[in-house]
Amino acid sequence: MEVARAILADPLRSYTAAALVVMVVLAGVVSAARIGAAWTPMRTWLLILPALLVPIWLGAGAWTLFVTAISIFGFKEFGRVSGLYAERPFVLVVYAGIVAINLAAYLRLDGEFLVAPFWTILVLTLVPIALNRTADTLQWFALSVVGLTFYGFFLGHLSWLAQTPFGIGPLLYVVFATQLNDVLAFLFGKRFGRRRWTTLSPNKTLEGSLLAAATTVALTFVQAPVAFPHVPPWGVLLAGLIVGIGGQVGDLTMALVKRSAGVKDFGRLLPGHGGITDRVNSLMITAPVFVHGMGFLFGRF
Amino acid sequence: MSGGGIRFEYRPLPDLDRAFIERLGDYPRGPDIGLEVLRAIGRSLAVALFRLQFRLEVVGRPPELPRVAMAANHASHLDTLAVLAALPRRHGRGLAVLAARDYFFRRWERAAAAALVAQAVAFDRQRYTELREWSRRLAAQQRGCLLFYPSGSRRERRAQRGMLLVVARSGWPLVPVAISGTREAWPVGARVWRPFRRIRVVFGEPLTDVPAAEVEQRLEAFWREHAG
Repeated sequence: MEVARAILADPLRSYTAAALVVMVVLAGVVSAARIGAAWTPMRTWLLILPALLVPIWLGAGAWTLFVTAISIFGFKEFGRVSGLYAERPFVLVVYAGIVAINLAAYLRLDGEFLVAPFWTILVLTLVPIALNRTADTLQWFALSVVGLTFYGFFLGHLSWLAQTPFGIGPLLYVVFATQLNDVLAFLFGKRFGRRRWTTLSPNKTLEGSLLAAATTVALTFVQAPVAFPHVPPWGVLLAGLIVGIGGQVGDLTMALVKRSAGVKDFGRLLPGHGGITDRVNSLMITAPVFVHGMGFLFGRF
Repeated sequence: MSGGGIRFEYRPLPDLDRAFIERLGDYPRGPDIGLEVLRAIGRSLAVALFRLQFRLEVVGRPPELPRVAMAANHASHLDTLAVLAALPRRHGRGLAVLAARDYFFRRWERAAAAALVAQAVAFDRQRYTELREWSRRLAAQQRGCLLFYPSGSRRERRAQRGMLLVVARSGWPLVPVAISGTREAWPVGARVWRPFRRIRVVFGEPLTDVPAAEVEQRLEAFWREHAG
């Protein structure tokens, strides 16, 4: 009992223990329901989980470095899929912007965190002038702004969440609830999915999406006492909806890029998942919406 | 805008579906800022360590850019580092060294060392269409610095025709390079190298105006004269 109490008192220990339990439970579910397609992503999760947990355990600096690295690598995937990556000056400016945003988040400079994207875009406007070229330049500029927004600014909120006045609970909630929501949508879709509902992501089913969102909302009430105990029940419901719906919006937004470019995945780094972007696309929406939405209503995160 | 508006066109990079280990050996190399940085670090470290351990003598004028193919004799793993150390810095940046795919690009650690330190790109000795493919690549490339070993093996002293003819017919200037001293510094079969040896790299004049059929003999004669 003492051990259980100690684990529950500490969000990091709670989430680490819960993540291990969920992995075992999901492995059981996948095995029992005979969802063969889930084994490869499950095996990859055995690598992703420590990759997420170790930097969080190491502290805000390590976590910020981790977020910066996945943002840069994710943006590289985005650039390779869209063709932007061949335009080095644009890519380098966005890389610099990603570093600046995460540095501001780490230092908790909220003004700089919010204006870093603005300054980066301003520098991006200079690139076509410096290149003195018109062909396709507007396209590369626009894609750079989209990339900076999603990979730099939106994902940068994960770095921001590492040092909230409410501890590390909100970060753990956003990261793990969003990832679990993705897994649930996949598993429910495989097991119960009948009706496909979007051309952006043809494998998504109505049943999978709704069941995942509902389960995520329900599980948010389980996590709330550990992750954000100061939030009232209607706020917990809101947090659940942000992750349950926002995660799928993020997924679909990046699916739009993939469909437009005619590729299936952003990369091959994570077997069964695709690239880094395929794994973090949901977080691109849930993290900023959580920070600003919940922060506006229940005190600044 | 009046001519139909702005059209966006996504252009996924051609190597998008290729595994990373395969991309490491691609020629021409696709854009990859991270790999370029790692290659530059690997190259600089390798050259610095090489210069610290061996006495290098460079004879002749390093070949002119923007594009050149160097054909060297091959007796040791140190050959590539010797040429890298002998070349001016601007050559090193674009240098690509042909290395056997079946030996260097099967395992991760070896592929990473070959591509990032020795600047290797993959040459598939077992693929029937490989020479045709290289012929197409060289014709399309307007700049570059290639190093290859026509003997194909550290144990073989005679030049093999295939790639030599491809280069000779491609329009790329072909420069003979003779390396000596590396065989003694790191013989075939030895686990580690023997430092503090003297290594000599000789750059010849480009084999222009040499009939393709004679390139082989001219090259072997150059190697015999300068590398024994």
